[in-house]
Amino acid sequence: MNIAKKRLIILILIIILILSMIFSLGIGGGRFQVSDLLSFFQPSSLSLSEKTILFEIRLPRLILTVLVGAALSLSGAVLQGLFQNPLVDPYVLGISSGGAVGAIVAILSGISLGFITLPLFSFIFALATTFLVLRLGKIGTKMPLEIMLLAGVAIGFFFSALISLGMFLAGENLHQMVFWMMGGFWNSSWNKVITLLPLFIIGIPIVFSYSRELNAFLLGEKVAESMGVDVEKTKKILLLVTSLLVAGSVSVSGVIGFVGLVVPHIIRIIIGDDHRQLLPASFFLGSSVLLWADIFSRTLLHPVELPVGVLTSLMGAPFFIYLLRRKKKGW
Amino acid sequence: MVNLSLSVQNLFFSYENRKVIKNVTFDIQKGDFVGILGPNGSGKSTLLYLLSGLLLPDAGSIFISGKNTKELSRKNWSREIAIVFQETNLNLDLECYDIIMMGRFPHWRRWQKENKHDLDAVQDALQITNTKQFASRPFRELSGGEKQRVMIARALAQEPHILLLDEPTSHLDILYQLDIMSILYQLQKKGITIIGVFHDINLVSQFCNQVLFLKKGEVLHYDLVNKSLHTPQLEELFDVAFLEEIHPYSLRPFFMPLGIVNKLVPLSTSVHLICGGGSGSIFMKEFLEAGFSVSVGIVNQFDSDQEMASKLGLPVIIEKPFSPISDETFQKALDIASKSDYVFLAPGYWGWGNLRNLDIAFSLLERGKRVLFLKESLDRKWDYTEGQAIDKLNRLLQQPQVKVFSSVSELLSYLKNITKNNSG
Repeated sequence: MNIAKKRLIILILIIILILSMIFSLGIGGGRFQVSDLLSFFQPSSLSLSEKTILFEIRLPRLILTVLVGAALSLSGAVLQGLFQNPLVDPYVLGISSGGAVGAIVAILSGISLGFITLPLFSFIFALATTFLVLRLGKIGTKMPLEIMLLAGVAIGFFFSALISLGMFLAGENLHQMVFWMMGGFWNSSWNKVITLLPLFIIGIPIVFSYSRELNAFLLGEKVAESMGVDVEKTKKILLLVTSLLVAGSVSVSGVIGFVGLVVPHIIRIIIGDDHRQLLPASFFLGSSVLLWADIFSRTLLHPVELPVGVLTSLMGAPFFIYLLRRKKKGW
Repeated sequence: MVNLSLSVQNLFFSYENRKVIKNVTFDIQKGDFVGILGPNGSGKSTLLYLLSGLLLPDAGSIFISGKNTKELSRKNWSREIAIVFQETNLNLDLECYDIIMMGRFPHWRRWQKENKHDLDAVQDALQITNTKQFASRPFRELSGGEKQRVMIARALAQEPHILLLDEPTSHLDILYQLDIMSILYQLQKKGITIIGVFHDINLVSQFCNQVLFLKKGEVLHYDLVNKSLHTPQLEELFDVAFLEEIHPYSLRPFFMPLGIVNKLVPLSTSVHLICGGGSGSIFMKEFLEAGFSVSVGIVNQFDSDQEMASKLGLPVIIEKPFSPISDETFQKALDIASKSDYVFLAPGYWGWGNLRNLDIAFSLLERGKRVLFLKESLDRKWDYTEGQAIDKLNRLLQQPQVKVFSSVSELLSYLKNITKNNSG
């Protein structure tokens, strides 16, 4: 596939995302209304409660969903490339379990710092876990990726036990923790958007600027280094930035599975392994996919709202198996 | 020196506590094609890694075009030296053109777009490696040899002054091996210095102009191929016996391993082998491999047994071509053969020309040596002397120091037992 076609596909993905965003804004209360949507452009015609619903509930939720979807699939694409392993997802370095432990600590300790309490705790614990994994995986000055992968898995198991323990002790707070771990956007607010946004504004351009290095990694670390890539620095920066993005996402939305694993695979099948197109395409498709997952989670069993994380896993796992069986080319 | 491409001085490197490169020093001139040969574990790949900066030495210096590599950034190092590894089995869904373009990496700054010079460099690389026709195909669809050509093109896109290759052809079939080597040969003509680790001695002999022998992390020899790439040096390097011929087409030396591991232990038991017409070669092999020292004769010049014995470096008594055995030669043979513990008569044809060989056996019996032969030697089919040879053999049979065996393995186990008892 030539570069023009790849760019066209990225353009189509952007258009799909914009259309999905518009559609998502019009969805609420179990129905879709064009009038809701159109009034978005004419706020003066809205009642106060309608304004609140649109601007204080749906819009921040939309933006948060888009950001988290983008962050997860972008990080998934980066980490799969970095680790040269198709089964890697954004939580490979223990971020999800670390974040969950943080959330449990926040809930059980009863500390309250306002809306930020839970996100802050899970963010800090998620990052701390990542650094622990990176530290454990480091040998001398080098970071052998296969050892890091195993360290991440081991820490994940350890923390799962802690999470179970926390849930066992949670008592009446159990439902709050379970909700957090299943992932969702029901507590979205502008505050959360604003806390998350700086991470994205700094992190995403950095990740995109490493497309060439990631391409070089496709040929193996040795070859990449021989071509002038500072392999260890690249690993450090990309692991750090993706960890920040994923930890930020987990802190506002809980653990949302499969988006970061499946979306990069879909893009690879469509446009190939070149990170210069793979990264932006994953970014936009990830946003759309999570947006639609959220739309379904709000509408499928209305008025009950399903956890998005449950939905993405329900849809993602079978789809992933389908992809694997269809593709069957070595990676 | 103006034309010095690479200078390595007192290089040391160890993995953990294992010393891999020990005090390696050599200079390579611009435009040389250097083949590195050495047994497994001799540090060949490690040396290439050190040259390309993938490993850093414990001590010593590397100068590339006069520049100390200690002062080179990673990118600048990659502008000087590119490396191609063993062929890859990567199944990338990436166009070959894009892979080759990756080679421009050391020339880019972050965010910098591809410019005219980048495009030209890739075009040149496509041209030299003859990869234009699959430039727009996905890498995973190529065969092993084609992939390796793309990887060479990628290395060339770096516009290096030196190209390193770590066994670039070891899993390729013969066509691609020659294909890759001739690409390298053309690159050398363009003034690129080429340094490659190869397993195939004959590829080195045919294409390289310099050869570097690396053994146990040290440089054993480093010289022109014409001077250094010969049997004695190869045998020292690999501890394996080689036959050296002149390749009839390239006129370069061509090497065949004899299939014998050089025994380094001193040999205590010796056998004199009487043979001819190719009857002896198999026994030379068997005796040498069993650890005996062997002398041969009398054989006519250009007899295949004579050629084999000479190649093996065995003492051999030679009579002129197509001539009967002269008194002078007979005496020489007695002198040599009487130094042996045993005389063995290989089953072979007897004619008027070599009948006197049997008399060697009689003379040696008189000097107290043991004479051995196989039962099949008594078959009349060998005899072209109207029964005289068989008569002599039958007379030998009656002597107490003569022993006849029904098979080669029986013979060998007899000799081995004797040797063991003597040394024990």
